[in-house]
Amino acid sequence: MRPVPSIYAGTTNAIAVLVLLTEFAMLRTALLRSQVRLYAVQSLLVSALAVVVAAVRDVPELYALAALSLALKVVVVPWLVLRLLRDADAEIAGSGTLSVASEVLVALLVGGLGFFAVDQLHVSSRVLPTTALGLAVAVVGVSFVLMIVRSDVVSQAVGFFSLENGVSLASLVVAAGLPLILEVAFLFDLLVAVVVFGFLMRVHHSRTATLSTAALTRLRG
Amino acid sequence: MSGMPVAAVQALQPLTVLVAAPGVSGFIATAEARMQGRRGPRVLQPYYDLAKLFRKESLAPVGASAVFLAAPVLAMVCYLTVPLLIPVLTSYGLPLGYMGDILGGGIILSLASFAVAVGAAETGSPYAQLGSSRSKTFAAITEPVMLFVVFAVALVTGTDLPYAMAATVRSGADQILRPSHLLAAAALFLVILYETGRIPVEAHRSTNEFGMIEEARSFEYSGPYFALLTWGSAMKQLILYTILINVFLAPWGLSSTRDASDVVLAVVLLVAKALVIGLVVAVIDNSFAKLRLFKITEFVAAAFLLAVLAVFTLYLGGG
Repeated sequence: MRPVPSIYAGTTNAIAVLVLLTEFAMLRTALLRSQVRLYAVQSLLVSALAVVVAAVRDVPELYALAALSLALKVVVVPWLVLRLLRDADAEIAGSGTLSVASEVLVALLVGGLGFFAVDQLHVSSRVLPTTALGLAVAVVGVSFVLMIVRSDVVSQAVGFFSLENGVSLASLVVAAGLPLILEVAFLFDLLVAVVVFGFLMRVHHSRTATLSTAALTRLRG
Repeated sequence: MSGMPVAAVQALQPLTVLVAAPGVSGFIATAEARMQGRRGPRVLQPYYDLAKLFRKESLAPVGASAVFLAAPVLAMVCYLTVPLLIPVLTSYGLPLGYMGDILGGGIILSLASFAVAVGAAETGSPYAQLGSSRSKTFAAITEPVMLFVVFAVALVTGTDLPYAMAATVRSGADQILRPSHLLAAAALFLVILYETGRIPVEAHRSTNEFGMIEEARSFEYSGPYFALLTWGSAMKQLILYTILINVFLAPWGLSSTRDASDVVLAVVLLVAKALVIGLVVAVIDNSFAKLRLFKITEFVAAAFLLAVLAVFTLYLGGG
Protein backbone atom coordinates (compact mmCIF):
# COMPACT_ATOMS: atom_id res chain seq x y z
CA MET A 1 0.00 0.00 0.00
CA ARG A 2 1.24 3.44 -0.90
CA PRO A 3 0.50 6.63 1.05
CA VAL A 4 -2.60 8.37 -0.19
CA PRO A 5 -1.92 11.88 -1.52
CA SER A 6 -3.94 14.70 0.00
CA ILE A 7 -6.90 16.17 -1.89
CA TYR A 8 -4.74 19.14 -2.91
CA ALA A 9 -1.96 16.86 -4.19
CA GLY A 10 -4.47 14.66 -5.97
CA THR A 11 -6.12 17.61 -7.71
CA THR A 12 -2.86 19.22 -8.82
CA ASN A 13 -1.54 15.86 -10.00
CA ALA A 14 -4.73 15.27 -11.95
CA ILE A 15 -4.34 18.67 -13.68
CA ALA A 16 -0.69 17.88 -14.44
CA VAL A 17 -1.76 14.50 -15.88
CA LEU A 18 -4.27 16.32 -18.10
CA VAL A 19 -1.43 18.57 -19.34
CA LEU A 20 0.50 15.44 -20.30
CA LEU A 21 -2.58 13.90 -21.94
CA THR A 22 -3.12 16.99 -24.11
CA GLU A 23 0.50 16.63 -25.20
CA PHE A 24 -0.25 13.04 -26.25
CA ALA A 25 -3.41 14.24 -27.98
CA MET A 26 -1.29 16.69 -30.02
CA LEU A 27 0.87 13.75 -31.02
CA ARG A 28 -2.18 11.80 -32.21
CA THR A 29 -4.26 14.43 -33.93
CA ALA A 30 -4.04 14.74 -37.68
CA LEU A 31 -5.49 18.23 -38.19
CA LEU A 32 -3.14 21.18 -37.77
CA ARG A 33 -6.01 23.32 -36.53
CA SER A 34 -6.91 20.94 -33.71
CA GLN A 35 -3.25 20.72 -32.77
CA VAL A 36 -3.20 24.47 -32.15
CA ARG A 37 -6.48 24.23 -30.23
CA LEU A 38 -5.03 21.48 -28.06
CA TYR A 39 -2.08 23.75 -27.36
CA ALA A 40 -4.52 26.43 -26.17
CA VAL A 41 -6.25 23.87 -23.91
CA GLN A 42 -2.90 22.78 -22.51
CA SER A 43 -1.91 26.37 -21.75
CA LEU A 44 -5.29 26.89 -20.09
CA LEU A 45 -4.62 23.86 -17.87
CA VAL A 46 -1.19 25.21 -16.89
CA SER A 47 -2.75 28.59 -16.02
CA ALA A 48 -5.47 26.82 -14.00
CA LEU A 49 -2.80 24.91 -12.11
CA ALA A 50 -1.00 28.20 -11.37
CA VAL A 51 -4.25 29.64 -9.99
CA VAL A 52 -4.84 26.57 -7.80
CA VAL A 53 -1.30 26.78 -6.43
CA ALA A 54 -1.63 30.54 -5.88
CA ALA A 55 -4.90 30.12 -3.98
CA VAL A 56 -4.02 27.13 -1.82
CA ARG A 57 -0.32 27.74 -1.17
CA ASP A 58 -0.69 31.54 -0.93
CA VAL A 59 1.74 32.66 -3.64
CA PRO A 60 0.03 35.82 -4.94
CA GLU A 61 2.61 36.44 -7.72
CA LEU A 62 1.26 33.35 -9.47
CA TYR A 63 -2.07 35.09 -10.12
CA ALA A 64 -0.25 37.65 -12.27
CA LEU A 65 1.65 34.87 -14.01
CA ALA A 66 -1.55 32.91 -14.65
CA ALA A 67 -3.24 35.99 -16.09
CA LEU A 68 -0.29 36.75 -18.34
CA SER A 69 0.05 33.20 -19.62
CA LEU A 70 -3.71 33.05 -20.13
CA ALA A 71 -3.60 36.15 -22.28
CA LEU A 72 -0.50 35.12 -24.22
CA LYS A 73 -0.63 31.35 -24.56
CA VAL A 74 -4.37 30.73 -24.61
CA VAL A 75 -5.41 33.70 -26.74
CA VAL A 76 -2.61 35.48 -28.61
CA VAL A 77 -0.30 32.65 -29.69
CA PRO A 78 -3.03 30.24 -30.92
CA TRP A 79 -4.76 33.14 -32.68
CA LEU A 80 -1.52 34.10 -34.47
CA VAL A 81 -0.75 30.53 -35.51
CA LEU A 82 -4.33 29.94 -36.68
CA ARG A 83 -4.11 33.11 -38.78
CA LEU A 84 -0.90 31.89 -40.36
CA LEU A 85 -2.59 28.56 -41.05
CA ARG A 86 -5.53 30.26 -42.74
CA ASP A 87 -3.11 31.88 -45.18
CA ALA A 88 -1.31 28.61 -45.84
CA ASP A 89 -4.51 26.63 -46.59
CA ALA A 90 -2.97 23.40 -45.38
CA GLU A 91 -5.23 21.24 -43.25
CA ILE A 92 -3.57 17.97 -42.47
CA ALA A 93 -0.32 17.53 -40.59
CA GLY A 94 2.51 15.78 -42.40
CA SER A 95 2.18 12.16 -41.44
CA GLY A 96 5.02 11.08 -39.23
CA THR A 97 7.57 8.39 -39.90
CA LEU A 98 5.65 6.12 -37.52
CA SER A 99 2.04 5.00 -37.28
CA VAL A 100 -0.02 6.72 -34.61
CA ALA A 101 -0.11 3.69 -32.30
CA SER A 102 3.69 3.27 -32.45
CA GLU A 103 4.14 7.01 -31.94
CA VAL A 104 2.13 6.78 -28.75
CA LEU A 105 4.16 3.79 -27.55
CA VAL A 106 7.50 5.52 -28.29
CA ALA A 107 6.31 8.68 -26.56
CA LEU A 108 5.15 6.61 -23.62
CA LEU A 109 8.64 5.11 -23.33
CA VAL A 110 10.30 8.54 -23.51
CA GLY A 111 7.80 10.02 -21.06
CA GLY A 112 8.29 7.09 -18.69
CA LEU A 113 12.05 7.58 -18.87
CA GLY A 114 11.67 11.23 -17.82
CA PHE A 115 9.25 10.22 -15.12
CA PHE A 116 11.53 7.71 -13.46
CA ALA A 117 14.65 9.85 -13.96
CA VAL A 118 13.00 12.55 -11.83
CA ASP A 119 12.20 9.94 -9.19
CA GLN A 120 15.94 9.35 -8.78
CA LEU A 121 16.65 13.06 -8.21
CA HIS A 122 14.72 13.15 -4.91
CA VAL A 123 13.53 16.70 -5.47
CA SER A 124 10.93 17.79 -3.01
CA SER A 125 8.95 20.96 -3.25
CA ARG A 126 6.99 23.11 -0.83
CA VAL A 127 4.14 23.89 -3.17
CA LEU A 128 3.53 20.88 -5.41
CA PRO A 129 4.02 17.11 -5.18
CA THR A 130 7.00 15.59 -7.00
CA THR A 131 4.67 13.67 -9.32
CA ALA A 132 3.92 16.97 -11.07
CA LEU A 133 7.65 17.46 -11.73
CA GLY A 134 7.87 13.98 -13.23
CA LEU A 135 4.86 14.74 -15.40
CA ALA A 136 6.44 18.05 -16.48
CA VAL A 137 9.60 16.24 -17.60
CA ALA A 138 7.40 13.71 -19.41
CA VAL A 139 5.64 16.60 -21.21
CA VAL A 140 9.04 17.91 -22.34
CA GLY A 141 10.04 14.43 -23.53
CA VAL A 142 6.80 13.86 -25.44
CA SER A 143 7.01 17.30 -27.06
CA PHE A 144 10.47 16.34 -28.33
CA VAL A 145 8.98 13.17 -29.81
CA LEU A 146 6.28 15.32 -31.43
CA MET A 147 8.92 17.56 -33.01
CA ILE A 148 11.01 14.60 -34.17
CA VAL A 149 8.38 12.30 -35.70
CA ARG A 150 6.15 14.91 -37.35
CA SER A 151 7.37 16.27 -40.62
CA ASP A 152 5.62 19.62 -40.86
CA VAL A 153 6.51 23.08 -39.65
CA VAL A 154 3.32 23.65 -37.65
CA SER A 155 3.68 20.47 -35.58
CA GLN A 156 7.27 21.39 -34.85
CA ALA A 157 6.30 24.92 -33.82
CA VAL A 158 3.44 23.65 -31.63
CA GLY A 159 5.80 21.04 -30.19
CA PHE A 160 8.23 23.78 -29.28
CA PHE A 161 5.53 25.96 -27.71
CA SER A 162 4.17 23.07 -25.69
CA LEU A 163 7.72 22.31 -24.56
CA GLU A 164 7.56 25.72 -22.93
CA ASN A 165 4.33 24.63 -21.21
CA GLY A 166 6.20 21.64 -19.80
CA VAL A 167 8.94 23.94 -18.53
CA SER A 168 6.34 26.26 -16.94
CA LEU A 169 4.83 23.25 -15.20
CA ALA A 170 8.27 22.22 -13.93
CA SER A 171 8.99 25.76 -12.74
CA LEU A 172 5.71 25.73 -10.79
CA VAL A 173 7.01 22.70 -8.90
CA VAL A 174 10.65 23.64 -8.38
CA ALA A 175 10.42 27.40 -8.08
CA ALA A 176 6.88 28.63 -7.59
CA GLY A 177 8.27 31.62 -5.72
CA LEU A 178 10.60 32.51 -8.60
CA PRO A 179 10.71 36.28 -9.01
CA LEU A 180 7.92 37.30 -11.31
CA ILE A 181 10.26 39.20 -13.60
CA LEU A 182 12.08 35.97 -14.52
CA GLU A 183 8.83 34.18 -15.31
CA VAL A 184 7.73 37.08 -17.47
CA ALA A 185 11.07 36.95 -19.26
CA PHE A 186 10.32 33.27 -20.02
CA LEU A 187 6.98 34.24 -21.49
CA PHE A 188 8.52 36.88 -23.71
CA ASP A 189 11.06 34.31 -24.82
CA LEU A 190 8.06 32.36 -26.03
CA LEU A 191 6.84 35.40 -27.94
CA VAL A 192 10.21 35.63 -29.68
CA ALA A 193 9.89 31.95 -30.56
CA VAL A 194 6.41 32.57 -31.96
CA VAL A 195 7.73 35.37 -34.16
CA VAL A 196 10.65 33.22 -35.35
CA PHE A 197 8.45 30.19 -36.04
CA GLY A 198 5.83 32.35 -37.71
CA PHE A 199 8.50 33.78 -39.95
CA LEU A 200 9.85 30.29 -40.63
CA MET A 201 6.38 29.03 -41.56
CA ARG A 202 5.81 31.95 -43.91
CA VAL A 203 9.18 31.63 -45.61
CA HIS A 204 8.94 27.85 -45.87
CA HIS A 205 5.45 28.02 -47.28
CA SER A 206 6.31 30.70 -49.80
CA ARG A 207 9.37 28.78 -51.02
CA THR A 208 8.03 25.25 -51.20
CA ALA A 209 4.26 25.88 -51.30
CA THR A 210 3.83 23.31 -48.56
CA LEU A 211 4.24 23.12 -44.80
CA SER A 212 5.92 19.72 -44.93
CA THR A 213 9.61 19.57 -44.13
CA ALA A 214 10.03 16.55 -46.39
CA ALA A 215 10.74 19.01 -49.22
CA LEU A 216 13.83 20.22 -47.38
CA THR A 217 15.79 17.01 -47.89
CA ARG A 218 16.23 17.78 -51.56
CA LEU A 219 19.40 19.68 -52.38
CA ARG A 220 18.76 23.03 -53.98
CA GLY A 221 21.12 24.92 -56.19
CA MET B 1 -27.39 -9.89 11.79
CA SER B 2 -31.02 -10.32 10.85
CA GLY B 3 -32.61 -10.15 7.44
CA MET B 4 -32.28 -12.34 4.38
CA PRO B 5 -30.09 -15.45 4.46
CA VAL B 6 -26.65 -14.92 2.93
CA ALA B 7 -27.33 -17.49 0.23
CA ALA B 8 -30.39 -15.54 -0.91
CA VAL B 9 -28.39 -12.29 -1.22
CA GLN B 10 -25.70 -14.25 -3.06
CA ALA B 11 -28.25 -15.71 -5.47
CA LEU B 12 -29.81 -12.30 -6.02
CA GLN B 13 -26.57 -10.96 -7.54
CA PRO B 14 -26.60 -13.07 -10.74
CA LEU B 15 -30.42 -12.90 -10.78
CA THR B 16 -30.36 -9.10 -10.81
CA VAL B 17 -27.92 -9.08 -13.70
CA LEU B 18 -29.90 -11.79 -15.52
CA VAL B 19 -33.20 -9.95 -15.25
CA ALA B 20 -32.02 -6.34 -15.64
CA ALA B 21 -29.53 -6.81 -18.49
CA PRO B 22 -31.96 -6.86 -21.47
CA GLY B 23 -33.73 -3.83 -19.98
CA VAL B 24 -30.48 -1.85 -19.87
CA SER B 25 -29.80 -2.75 -23.52
CA GLY B 26 -33.34 -1.75 -24.43
CA PHE B 27 -32.97 1.55 -22.60
CA ILE B 28 -29.76 2.37 -24.49
CA ALA B 29 -31.41 1.53 -27.83
CA THR B 30 -34.41 3.74 -27.00
CA ALA B 31 -32.25 6.62 -25.75
CA GLU B 32 -30.10 6.41 -28.88
CA ALA B 33 -33.15 6.46 -31.14
CA ARG B 34 -34.66 9.44 -29.30
CA MET B 35 -31.41 11.39 -29.71
CA GLN B 36 -31.58 10.75 -33.44
CA GLY B 37 -35.18 11.98 -33.52
CA ARG B 38 -36.56 8.48 -34.02
CA ARG B 39 -39.19 6.87 -31.85
CA GLY B 40 -37.10 3.77 -31.38
CA PRO B 41 -38.06 0.40 -29.89
CA ARG B 42 -39.77 0.00 -26.53
CA VAL B 43 -37.47 -0.22 -23.53
CA LEU B 44 -38.86 -3.70 -22.92
CA GLN B 45 -38.38 -4.81 -26.53
CA PRO B 46 -35.36 -7.08 -25.79
CA TYR B 47 -37.55 -9.11 -23.39
CA TYR B 48 -40.16 -9.64 -26.10
CA ASP B 49 -37.41 -10.58 -28.55
CA LEU B 50 -36.02 -13.14 -26.12
CA ALA B 51 -39.49 -14.59 -25.43
CA LYS B 52 -40.09 -14.92 -29.17
CA LEU B 53 -36.71 -16.52 -29.84
CA PHE B 54 -37.19 -19.09 -27.07
CA ARG B 55 -40.39 -20.28 -28.80
CA LYS B 56 -38.71 -20.70 -32.20
CA GLU B 57 -36.99 -23.81 -33.51
CA SER B 58 -33.23 -23.79 -33.87
CA LEU B 59 -31.06 -25.13 -36.67
CA ALA B 60 -27.38 -26.03 -36.72
CA PRO B 61 -25.25 -25.91 -39.88
CA VAL B 62 -24.37 -29.25 -41.43
CA GLY B 63 -21.11 -30.54 -40.04
CA ALA B 64 -21.11 -28.40 -36.93
CA SER B 65 -20.18 -30.45 -33.89
CA ALA B 66 -21.63 -30.38 -30.37
CA VAL B 67 -19.29 -27.49 -29.57
CA PHE B 68 -21.50 -25.25 -31.69
CA LEU B 69 -24.48 -26.00 -29.47
CA ALA B 70 -22.54 -26.04 -26.19
CA ALA B 71 -20.92 -22.62 -26.74
CA PRO B 72 -23.94 -20.39 -25.95
CA VAL B 73 -24.74 -22.44 -22.85
CA LEU B 74 -21.15 -22.28 -21.61
CA ALA B 75 -21.06 -18.52 -22.24
CA MET B 76 -24.29 -18.08 -20.28
CA VAL B 77 -22.89 -20.12 -17.38
CA CYS B 78 -19.80 -17.88 -17.35
CA TYR B 79 -21.90 -14.71 -17.33
CA LEU B 80 -23.92 -16.11 -14.41
CA THR B 81 -20.72 -16.91 -12.49
CA VAL B 82 -19.01 -13.51 -12.73
CA PRO B 83 -21.68 -11.59 -10.75
CA LEU B 84 -20.88 -13.87 -7.80
CA LEU B 85 -17.35 -12.46 -7.70
CA ILE B 86 -17.96 -8.72 -7.97
CA PRO B 87 -19.81 -6.29 -5.69
CA VAL B 88 -23.22 -6.16 -7.38
CA LEU B 89 -25.45 -5.52 -4.39
CA THR B 90 -23.43 -5.59 -1.18
CA SER B 91 -20.48 -3.61 0.13
CA TYR B 92 -19.30 -6.61 2.20
CA GLY B 93 -17.83 -9.69 0.61
CA LEU B 94 -20.30 -12.55 0.23
CA PRO B 95 -18.99 -16.10 0.85
CA LEU B 96 -18.53 -16.95 -2.83
CA GLY B 97 -17.17 -13.46 -3.55
CA TYR B 98 -13.67 -14.56 -2.61
CA MET B 99 -13.59 -17.47 -5.08
CA GLY B 100 -11.73 -15.24 -7.50
CA ASP B 101 -10.22 -11.77 -7.77
CA ILE B 102 -10.44 -9.30 -10.67
CA LEU B 103 -8.18 -11.52 -12.77
CA GLY B 104 -10.40 -14.50 -11.98
CA GLY B 105 -13.46 -12.61 -13.16
CA GLY B 106 -11.52 -11.50 -16.24
CA ILE B 107 -10.58 -15.09 -17.07
CA ILE B 108 -14.20 -16.24 -16.82
CA LEU B 109 -15.35 -13.37 -19.06
CA SER B 110 -12.66 -14.25 -21.62
CA LEU B 111 -13.63 -17.92 -21.40
CA ALA B 112 -17.19 -16.95 -22.37
CA SER B 113 -16.04 -14.92 -25.34
CA PHE B 114 -13.60 -17.70 -26.32
CA ALA B 115 -16.46 -20.23 -26.24
CA VAL B 116 -18.59 -18.03 -28.51
CA ALA B 117 -15.65 -17.53 -30.88
CA VAL B 118 -15.01 -21.29 -31.08
CA GLY B 119 -18.72 -21.89 -31.66
CA ALA B 120 -18.68 -19.36 -34.51
CA ALA B 121 -15.57 -20.96 -36.00
CA GLU B 122 -17.44 -24.31 -36.04
CA THR B 123 -19.79 -22.99 -38.70
CA GLY B 124 -18.86 -22.62 -42.34
CA SER B 125 -20.05 -19.01 -42.45
CA PRO B 126 -17.23 -16.69 -43.53
CA TYR B 127 -18.72 -13.72 -41.65
CA ALA B 128 -19.00 -15.62 -38.37
CA GLN B 129 -15.41 -16.80 -38.73
CA LEU B 130 -14.28 -13.28 -39.61
CA GLY B 131 -15.98 -12.00 -36.47
CA SER B 132 -14.44 -14.61 -34.22
CA SER B 133 -10.98 -14.09 -35.69
CA ARG B 134 -11.24 -10.30 -35.34
CA SER B 135 -12.61 -10.40 -31.82
CA LYS B 136 -9.71 -12.61 -30.69
CA THR B 137 -7.12 -10.43 -32.48
CA PHE B 138 -8.35 -7.26 -30.81
CA ALA B 139 -8.89 -9.02 -27.49
CA ALA B 140 -5.15 -9.73 -27.51
CA ILE B 141 -4.37 -6.01 -27.69
CA THR B 142 -6.97 -4.89 -25.14
CA GLU B 143 -5.74 -7.47 -22.65
CA PRO B 144 -2.59 -5.45 -21.67
CA VAL B 145 -4.84 -2.47 -20.91
CA MET B 146 -6.91 -4.59 -18.51
CA LEU B 147 -3.72 -5.91 -16.92
CA PHE B 148 -2.44 -2.40 -16.26
CA VAL B 149 -5.80 -1.41 -14.76
CA VAL B 150 -5.50 -4.44 -12.48
CA PHE B 151 -1.92 -3.44 -11.59
CA ALA B 152 -3.13 0.06 -10.69
CA VAL B 153 -5.84 -1.44 -8.47
CA ALA B 154 -3.30 -3.77 -6.88
CA LEU B 155 -0.91 -0.88 -6.16
CA VAL B 156 -3.71 1.21 -4.64
CA THR B 157 -5.26 -1.43 -2.42
CA GLY B 158 -2.51 -3.99 -1.92
CA THR B 159 -4.88 -6.73 -3.13
CA ASP B 160 -6.74 -7.30 -6.35
CA LEU B 161 -10.13 -7.97 -4.84
CA PRO B 162 -12.88 -5.80 -6.30
CA TYR B 163 -14.48 -5.42 -2.84
CA ALA B 164 -11.24 -3.92 -1.48
CA MET B 165 -11.06 -1.40 -4.33
CA ALA B 166 -14.67 -0.36 -3.80
CA ALA B 167 -14.04 0.12 -0.08
CA THR B 168 -10.93 2.20 -0.87
CA VAL B 169 -12.87 4.47 -3.21
CA ARG B 170 -15.60 4.89 -0.59
CA SER B 171 -13.06 5.84 2.08
CA GLY B 172 -12.68 9.46 1.04
CA ALA B 173 -12.47 12.17 -1.58
CA ASP B 174 -8.66 11.94 -1.63
CA GLN B 175 -8.96 8.44 -3.07
CA ILE B 176 -11.26 9.62 -5.85
CA LEU B 177 -9.23 12.64 -6.92
CA ARG B 178 -5.90 10.85 -7.21
CA PRO B 179 -4.90 10.72 -10.88
CA SER B 180 -4.20 6.98 -10.82
CA HIS B 181 -7.82 6.28 -9.93
CA LEU B 182 -9.20 8.67 -12.58
CA LEU B 183 -6.87 7.29 -15.26
CA ALA B 184 -7.58 3.65 -14.45
CA ALA B 185 -11.34 4.29 -14.49
CA ALA B 186 -11.07 6.11 -17.84
CA ALA B 187 -8.99 3.26 -19.32
CA LEU B 188 -11.52 0.72 -18.08
CA PHE B 189 -14.34 2.74 -19.65
CA LEU B 190 -12.57 2.67 -23.03
CA VAL B 191 -12.07 -1.09 -22.73
CA ILE B 192 -15.77 -1.46 -21.90
CA LEU B 193 -16.67 0.51 -25.05
CA TYR B 194 -14.58 -2.01 -26.99
CA GLU B 195 -15.89 -5.09 -25.18
CA THR B 196 -19.55 -4.15 -25.55
CA GLY B 197 -19.14 -3.32 -29.24
CA ARG B 198 -20.00 0.37 -28.98
CA ILE B 199 -19.28 3.15 -31.33
CA PRO B 200 -15.68 4.08 -31.83
CA VAL B 201 -15.04 0.37 -32.37
CA GLU B 202 -18.18 -1.23 -33.73
CA ALA B 203 -21.66 -0.05 -34.65
CA HIS B 204 -24.06 -1.83 -32.31
CA ARG B 205 -26.82 -3.74 -34.13
CA SER B 206 -25.57 -2.56 -37.51
CA THR B 207 -26.21 -4.66 -40.60
CA ASN B 208 -22.88 -4.05 -42.29
CA GLU B 209 -21.00 -7.33 -41.95
CA PHE B 210 -17.61 -5.90 -42.87
CA GLY B 211 -17.56 -3.60 -39.85
CA MET B 212 -18.61 -6.28 -37.41
CA ILE B 213 -16.46 -7.75 -34.71
CA GLU B 214 -18.47 -9.24 -31.86
CA GLU B 215 -21.87 -9.09 -33.54
CA ALA B 216 -20.89 -11.30 -36.46
CA ARG B 217 -20.22 -14.28 -34.27
CA SER B 218 -23.88 -15.10 -33.66
CA PHE B 219 -24.83 -15.18 -37.36
CA GLU B 220 -25.43 -18.94 -37.64
CA TYR B 221 -27.41 -19.30 -34.43
CA SER B 222 -31.17 -19.38 -34.29
CA GLY B 223 -33.99 -19.95 -31.81
CA PRO B 224 -33.18 -20.51 -28.12
CA TYR B 225 -29.42 -20.66 -28.80
CA PHE B 226 -29.51 -17.23 -30.41
CA ALA B 227 -31.60 -16.00 -27.49
CA LEU B 228 -28.93 -17.25 -25.08
CA LEU B 229 -26.23 -15.42 -27.05
CA THR B 230 -28.08 -12.09 -27.16
CA TRP B 231 -29.05 -12.39 -23.52
CA GLY B 232 -25.43 -13.27 -22.72
CA SER B 233 -24.04 -10.22 -24.49
CA ALA B 234 -26.55 -7.98 -22.70
CA MET B 235 -25.43 -9.57 -19.42
CA LYS B 236 -21.78 -9.06 -20.27
CA GLN B 237 -22.56 -5.39 -20.85
CA LEU B 238 -24.31 -5.01 -17.50
CA ILE B 239 -21.53 -6.95 -15.72
CA LEU B 240 -18.89 -4.61 -17.15
CA TYR B 241 -21.00 -1.55 -16.25
CA THR B 242 -21.37 -2.96 -12.73
CA ILE B 243 -17.61 -3.35 -12.39
CA LEU B 244 -17.10 0.23 -13.60
CA ILE B 245 -19.80 1.63 -11.30
CA ASN B 246 -19.47 -0.41 -8.14
CA VAL B 247 -15.70 -0.77 -8.14
CA PHE B 248 -14.43 2.48 -9.67
CA LEU B 249 -16.90 5.30 -10.25
CA ALA B 250 -19.67 5.23 -7.67
CA PRO B 251 -19.55 2.37 -5.17
CA TRP B 252 -22.20 4.08 -3.04
CA GLY B 253 -25.69 2.82 -2.37
CA LEU B 254 -24.55 -0.78 -1.97
CA SER B 255 -26.28 -2.62 0.83
CA SER B 256 -24.14 -2.93 3.95
CA THR B 257 -26.61 -5.22 5.73
CA ARG B 258 -28.74 -8.21 4.84
CA ASP B 259 -32.05 -6.38 5.38
CA ALA B 260 -34.44 -7.01 2.54
CA SER B 261 -35.18 -3.27 2.20
CA ASP B 262 -31.47 -2.40 1.87
CA VAL B 263 -30.91 -5.13 -0.70
CA VAL B 264 -33.92 -4.06 -2.77
CA LEU B 265 -32.73 -0.44 -2.61
CA ALA B 266 -29.30 -1.63 -3.83
CA VAL B 267 -30.94 -3.40 -6.78
CA VAL B 268 -32.86 -0.25 -7.74
CA LEU B 269 -29.77 1.95 -7.38
CA LEU B 270 -27.63 -0.44 -9.42
CA VAL B 271 -30.10 -0.36 -12.28
CA ALA B 272 -30.38 3.44 -12.04
CA LYS B 273 -26.59 3.87 -12.14
CA ALA B 274 -26.29 1.43 -15.06
CA LEU B 275 -28.91 3.48 -16.94
CA VAL B 276 -26.84 6.64 -16.38
CA ILE B 277 -23.77 4.90 -17.83
CA GLY B 278 -25.98 3.66 -20.67
CA LEU B 279 -27.06 7.23 -21.37
CA VAL B 280 -23.41 8.32 -21.58
CA VAL B 281 -22.72 5.42 -23.96
CA ALA B 282 -25.74 6.43 -26.08
CA VAL B 283 -24.39 10.01 -26.31
CA ILE B 284 -20.98 8.68 -27.40
CA ASP B 285 -22.69 6.39 -29.92
CA ASN B 286 -24.40 9.39 -31.43
CA SER B 287 -21.47 11.81 -31.45
CA PHE B 288 -18.59 9.82 -32.95
CA ALA B 289 -18.01 7.92 -36.14
CA LYS B 290 -17.02 4.28 -36.25
CA LEU B 291 -13.28 3.86 -36.58
CA ARG B 292 -11.83 2.10 -39.57
CA LEU B 293 -10.81 -1.44 -38.58
CA PHE B 294 -7.10 -0.65 -38.73
CA LYS B 295 -7.61 2.49 -36.64
CA ILE B 296 -8.84 0.44 -33.70
CA THR B 297 -5.22 -0.03 -32.61
CA GLU B 298 -5.07 3.76 -32.13
CA PHE B 299 -8.12 3.64 -29.90
CA VAL B 300 -6.59 0.83 -27.88
CA ALA B 301 -3.25 2.68 -27.75
CA ALA B 302 -5.08 5.60 -26.10
CA ALA B 303 -6.59 3.27 -23.49
CA PHE B 304 -3.18 1.68 -22.95
CA LEU B 305 -1.64 5.12 -22.45
CA LEU B 306 -4.19 5.97 -19.74
CA ALA B 307 -3.67 2.66 -17.93
CA VAL B 308 0.15 2.85 -18.04
CA LEU B 309 0.10 6.47 -16.83
CA ALA B 310 -2.08 5.34 -13.90
CA VAL B 311 0.65 2.90 -12.84
CA PHE B 312 3.43 5.48 -13.48
CA THR B 313 1.83 8.14 -11.29
CA LEU B 314 1.40 5.55 -8.55
CA TYR B 315 5.09 4.70 -8.59
CA LEU B 316 6.16 8.30 -8.27
CA GLY B 317 4.77 10.16 -5.29
CA GLY B 318 1.86 7.79 -4.72
CA GLY B 319 -0.25 9.58 -7.38
